[in-house]
Parts: sequence; structure tokens; C-alpha cells
Amino acid sequence: MKNLIITNNPAVAEKNNNTVLFVDGSVEETLIMVRDKVHSGYELISHPLAASLRMMFSPFRSVILGKKSNKIDAFSAEIIEDSIIKYKRHMDFRKKDSANCEDYKMIDLILLESAIHEQAVTW
Amino acid sequence: MSEQFKVLYYVNQFFGQVGGEDKAGMPPEFRLEKIGPAQGFEGLLKGEGTVVGTIICGDNYFNENKSDVLETILNMVKEAAPDVFVAGPAFNAGRYGVACSEISKAVSQMLNIPVVTGMYVENPGLDSCKALAYVVSTSDSAGGMRKALPSMAALACKLAKGIEVGTPEKEGYIARGIRKTLIVEKKGSQRAVEMLLARLKGQPFETEMPMPIFDVVNPAEPIKDLSKATIALCTSGGIVPEGNPDKIQSASAQKWGKYDVSETHGLEAPCYYTTHGGYDPVYANEIPDRVAPLDVLKEFEAEGYIGKVFDWFYTTTGTGTAVSKSIEFGIQIGAELKASGVEGVILTST
Amino acid sequence: MKLEIGRIYIKDIQLGNETSVKDGVLTVDKDGLISNLKEDERIRDVVIDVAKPGEKVRIIPVKDVIEPRVKVQGGNNGFPGVTSKQAQCGEGRTHVLYGAAVVTVGDIVGFQEGVIDMWGEGAKWTPFSKTYNLTVDIQVAAGLNPHTHEETVRIAGLRVAEFIGLAGENLTPDEVLTFEIGSIFEETAKYPDLPKVVYAEMNITQGLLHDTYIYGVNQSGILPALLHANEELDNAVISGNCVAACDKITTYQHQNNSVIYDLYAQHGKEINFLGVIMVPEHTTLAGKLRASDYTVKLAKMLGADAVVVSEEGYGNPDSDLLMICKKCEKSGIKTVLITDECAGRDGMSQPLADTAVEAVAVVSGGNVSHVVTLPPADKVIGNAAAISVLSGGWEGSLLEDGTLMCELNAVIGATSEIGFHNVTCRLY
Repeated sequence: MKNLIITNNPAVAEKNNNTVLFVDGSVEETLIMVRDKVHSGYELISHPLAASLRMMFSPFRSVILGKKSNKIDAFSAEIIEDSIIKYKRHMDFRKKDSANCEDYKMIDLILLESAIHEQAVTW
Repeated sequence: MSEQFKVLYYVNQFFGQVGGEDKAGMPPEFRLEKIGPAQGFEGLLKGEGTVVGTIICGDNYFNENKSDVLETILNMVKEAAPDVFVAGPAFNAGRYGVACSEISKAVSQMLNIPVVTGMYVENPGLDSCKALAYVVSTSDSAGGMRKALPSMAALACKLAKGIEVGTPEKEGYIARGIRKTLIVEKKGSQRAVEMLLARLKGQPFETEMPMPIFDVVNPAEPIKDLSKATIALCTSGGIVPEGNPDKIQSASAQKWGKYDVSETHGLEAPCYYTTHGGYDPVYANEIPDRVAPLDVLKEFEAEGYIGKVFDWFYTTTGTGTAVSKSIEFGIQIGAELKASGVEGVILTST
Repeated sequence: MKLEIGRIYIKDIQLGNETSVKDGVLTVDKDGLISNLKEDERIRDVVIDVAKPGEKVRIIPVKDVIEPRVKVQGGNNGFPGVTSKQAQCGEGRTHVLYGAAVVTVGDIVGFQEGVIDMWGEGAKWTPFSKTYNLTVDIQVAAGLNPHTHEETVRIAGLRVAEFIGLAGENLTPDEVLTFEIGSIFEETAKYPDLPKVVYAEMNITQGLLHDTYIYGVNQSGILPALLHANEELDNAVISGNCVAACDKITTYQHQNNSVIYDLYAQHGKEINFLGVIMVPEHTTLAGKLRASDYTVKLAKMLGADAVVVSEEGYGNPDSDLLMICKKCEKSGIKTVLITDECAGRDGMSQPLADTAVEAVAVVSGGNVSHVVTLPPADKVIGNAAAISVLSGGWEGSLLEDGTLMCELNAVIGATSEIGFHNVTCRLY
């Protein structure tokens, strides 16, 4: 099964073999798209947030979704809702760090690839 | 101390010794004397400060004329130019608490004068002012006056003199909700190991990050056959019949109401409107069904999708209403509905 | 397992023509060190400098901090599995140049942060303002890919620590600390009535700039691993983490893990300290579930009564922390968590997301968004341009006179989640 990757990172959209849903917008809009997908039955494969504050400031974010089912995955829903709250708490008052866009694109892509690699099985 | 700092005091008609409920409609007055708690308060300042006057205002007058009265009071404060503003304590008195809260907020925000007040933790005025004022934690009745005033006076002294205020536990005020970053003596790891040892020994310990506790209500069993069920409608959106016959408060509700809707097809204007003071009422007042959709429920009843709409509609206002009050309302309304054989309730909030 | 750590107190660092310690003064053979480093063809240029406590010096962007050491008995010198051949860490004797630190500087990506101020206001917020720092600014050869670039800088820092650590080989330490804990059965027989305590140390393991290595093995691909506490104190764990300045665990902090020190101090007195579970922080939810299950299983197999759990990073690791907490408490294992928090600039934001009723005992390393004002430095080591990156993207952060207003999240070790520093938050 192929994953669905939701991203606003053009570098990810260009490169990936998985199904990519490109969000032409901010990280917040990307996370909201993830939320909408989770509420329509997709499960989260990767956590919507990164592991460091500095990556929270990244203008690019990619999230991996897995299977879609008829039932909402409550665990995924809780995590994406919490992530949006946490993200907004940090970013609502900030300007975009646009000076380092290319580096952020690259690291977002590399971290995404690590996450894809982390999955034991994809069928 | 070369010069005494100035304190201006605010009390309601009762503590201002004007009268009881019959005088609650009195407009604000500035008096040069120290009245009611202001008298004892000055003594507690130990000569470092002086009370330069007392503002007295009726609780009803304040709550019914909020914007005008705030302006009047702010002008009185400006004139007196105190170093600290003190209000209450209001204990658990709802209207008095809201008045102390609103005035505290205004004085702090508009005039940038530090404010001390006192309230019982469940006072509906607390939440909106605790981040701006120092609110001393009091008992729920005026019997706690003698305990409350020394803490309030101590805080007033510190604020007037620009001395750093200590922790809520030490100073007796209700936490203002500020997470203050501090450098402390012990490293985090040492604090963790000490906390661990205390936990293992069953000794008291204090977490450094209290988790908010959410009240989780387990959902009821699904209704087996909706087409035979009686469904009730209940809102905290403040929809009331014209004239608000039970005088449900527009904020910090102290009661709920129920109204017979057995002969009504919807909550239509102008027979119904909202008394809720916490949101823009324009759209609710155009079509009150927008807040509590009785019209749709009645349609469902006509179609046979639901068995019956319960004859009574329940309502209150949610804004500023204490959690303890809400629990009380919920238990009362729930018991009535259950006794009447209602199987499901649509709850709407705003 | 028995480890002796001999501390040689360092009271100054100077650059010279030989590497030695005399009367507490560490002299570093600057040219020798540079040519040693340049044996790695990936390194184009190296700038060595010294930053001492109290000097008006700012170091930025810091990649890692490492304590210089030498193995004098048992095991292999250096970092086994990384800079030297595999050997068992945690046994024998190690000499430490105590009070000195190697600080690697150099940006792998443009948005790196991590500031150490050696004086004034900034010094209060980082534990590395108190060490004598040998700074190593590494420029790599052109055309290296990011992974190789990161590895080059990471290994170079470790090699510097090894190179200067050798100066302590034949000296008599000022102080010798002994760390000895036997097998779980021996210790439990010795202290049958003491509660059994495990330390679960979470580490970021999520890809480039976000990695941790045990004996050179990237932790992201392994299950939670049980370590004897001595191993981490003896160079078994290194950091490849470059972007969580305030709450990452630098290699120095692994070598001197304060939770291990403080649990050791209670071993045989109040507790029976069983060991350390190294917990990877994965990116995927499946990985998080697996790592937390496995950690709790190990704790249960060891018969732990209580666990201290420390986090690394902020964001998705908060989920792992609470998963471990919930599962431990549900199994009857008492937890104490160490984390940091984001309460906003004004401290008024309350934690709404990622909370658990089971988390009753939590130590806070402070508010990552707390704003500090750092006056301009006389000298900047590293890349002065990186200072503007520190701001986190808000206006008014870099004032005209060079004064910098930044959040604690940019300061190395400020809100340490292994409790390495003495910052916290209290509700006012």
C-alpha cells in the first residue's frame, strides 16, 4: 500500500513516488489539510510535528498518512488536533523564516525520508 | 519611608454601609472617608500607606450600567491618583465579584495602576480578572474578612513600593496563570530525584507542571429507536421568552429556566431572543432557532424521525458561569428530564 | 561494573606549541591539532579559539559540546565504535580534564542556532558559560552532501576531545569518583528493601541533525537498549543533534548525565539503581508505540518500582514522553518526568495539548519561549550572521546597538530536559 503524503514542500512533491497531496500554502494550512483527512478516515503514519523547536519554525512540513477506513482513528485525531494547537501557540506571532527556505526544504525532505524508512512494512 | 503611598478603595452598597438589597441600585459615589473594610485595611498598612477615599456603588447599578459606570469610576480613580487600587473582598457574592472584577480590569488596563482584590475561588468574577489583578483567596462569606485583609494589605504594600511579589502560596493570592521562568538553586535532575524519593516514600511532593484536569463525561448508550424517543432541547446560549420572565442573568448565571414549547413550532423572534452577554446577538435575535434549533426538531417530530419533542425547553447563559454552578444546573435539569422519560437531549452552546 | 573517573581540574586554557596540563592550565598545541584534524580530507579549514568564563564572548552557532578525556585503564581510548575500535565502556579508569570543554562551531544548514554567552545575563542561562571552552570552527571541503558534512563536524569534535584529553594521561587527578554497580541480582541481594529504579533516557533519533548514537550505532534503527549507567558516563553515547539548542543533550551532557549522577548518589542509600534504558524517539506513531511498549516491558522485566523519564527535544517527543508515563503508571511503576514547556513569551499560555492525568510528578526545565536580553559581545566566535537567525522570526529582536532579544530556545542547554541546568517554571 502506498502512503499519502501531505506537504507544502515543493522538494517533496517533486521527488516522491508516493501519492502526494500538495498544499499550496502555509504549514498551518498543511496541518489543517492533515486534520481534514484524518477526520475523513485516514490514519497518521508520521507525527505532524518535528522533534525540535527550530523545525517548528520551518515554513515547510510534510506528513505521512496511511490507510483510509470508514472509521475515524481516534488516536490520530487527538494527535493532529493537539499538534495544531501546539503549532499555533508557537507560530501565531512569528514571521516566516524565509531566509533559509532552501535549507528547510532539504531538511524537511530528509526527515520525511527517514520517516518513510522507519516503517517496517508498506504493502 | 518619607511619604505614605495612596490607596483608593472600592466597595458595594452593603460593605459601604449604605444598605442592603434595597440600595443595590445606587450609582457610584466617591467619599473621602475610609468606609467599611477600608478602615481596617489602613491599619494593616502599618503607617506605610493611607486610604485616600472610598468609592461605593450599588451592585445592581453597576451590572445594569456597566459601560457608563466604568467610565465614571475610572474618572474618580484618575482624580484620586492612587498608587494602588483595592476592591472588595467580594467573597462568593456574584454581582459584587463581577463589579470588583470589571473595575479591577479597567483600572489595571486603562490606568496601569496595580490592583488588589479578594474573592472566593468560585466567584464568577474571578476568571476574567485574575491575570491582571492580585486576587486574594478568601472564604465564601464575609466571615473571612479578618483573614483576607492582612494578605490584601501586604500585597498592596509590595505593589506600591515595587517589591517583587512572591508565589501564590506564600502571598495568599490566587495564581494568576503566569508561568514564570526562574533560576533556582537545585538542578532539574536533583529536583527529579527528590520528587522520586518523596513519591516512593509516600510523602507529599509537588509537581512543577500541574496538568489541567478535564472533566470527562462518558457518553450515554445510543438510543435504540429514535422514532419512539422523546428528545429535549437545552441551551447555554441564553435564549429566553420575550421579557426574560425569570430574569436569567446575561452572564455568570445563577439560575436556569424552562419554558413550555409544546404548542410552538420554533423559537421565533420576537417571542424569543437571547439574553446572553458573551456574543454578538444580532444573528441569534433574527432567528433564535439558530442557537437552539427547535424548528428542525419539530420537523423531525412531524416526519416521524424522532418520537416526540419534549414539552419543555431548558435554557441558561454559559458565559462566566462557574463550573460548580453548571454542574448544579446539569444535575437538576438531568434529574427532571430523566423523571419525565426523556431519552435524549440536544445540548447547544455558543 | 566499576569505573573510576579521575578529575583533573582545569582553571585556564592557552594556545601554544605543545599539549599539556600544568598547574591546572591546559595548553593546546594549536598547529598540531589543526594538522591532526586535517588528516580528514573532508576538512578544509579549522579555526581554534578559546572562550573563558567572564569574557565578553559569544559562541554561535554551537553544534556540540564534548568533554576532553583519556582512558588510562581498561577499554579503548576515545569514543569506541566511533573514533576508536569497539571496546566495552564503563570499566577501568578514565581521566577527565574537568572544567574544560570542546565546543564545535559551524553551520551545516543556515537556520542553525545555539548560543553560548560567556558573561553577564546570557551566562546565567547556559551551563557552558562556566567551562573553559576550546572552540573549534570547522569549514568542510566543497561539495559534501549534508549527511557527510554533519558527520565530518561531529567526528572532528570527538577527535579534538581525544587529542587534548591525552594531556591528562599521566597526571594524578585532583579527585577520583568511583562508580560501581554490580549485576541486578547482586545489588538486589545487597539492598533487598530498597525500591528499584530505572532511568529511561529518551533521545532524538529522527534523521539528519536529529540523531543520537550508542557505540556509533544510530539509535533510530534499534529497539530501546538497556545500558549500565557507567557506559554512558564513559563515552558510549554521542550526540548528532544540532537543532534543539535549549533542550538537546550534547555529548558533554551524555558524558556527565546529571540524572545518572543524582540516581547514583542515592544508590544503596534510598534506591537500587538498576540501569538506563536508552529510548529512541521515532517519527512515526507506530515507532512511538513500539518504543514506549518496549521501554515499559524492559522496566517490568527488571522489576522496577519507579522510573525517571527524561525527554529530548520538543514537539513530537512530547507524545512519547506521555505514552511512557501512562503505560508505566498503568503497570504500577511510579514515574517522574523531566521536560520543558512552552508557556508563550508572557508565560500566560497553559499546556492544553499533550496532557495526561497520569503525569503527576513532572520537573520543568523552564519556558522555551522565555525572552532574554543579551547585550552585544566584544567578540563573536563562529558566524556572527547566525545571530539574526536566533530571533525565531519576530520583529525587534536584534536592536540597533547589537543587543539581542531571543528566546531561551536558542541558548545551549538552557532548559535541559535531563535536568542539567537550574532553570524552572513556577505558577504565579
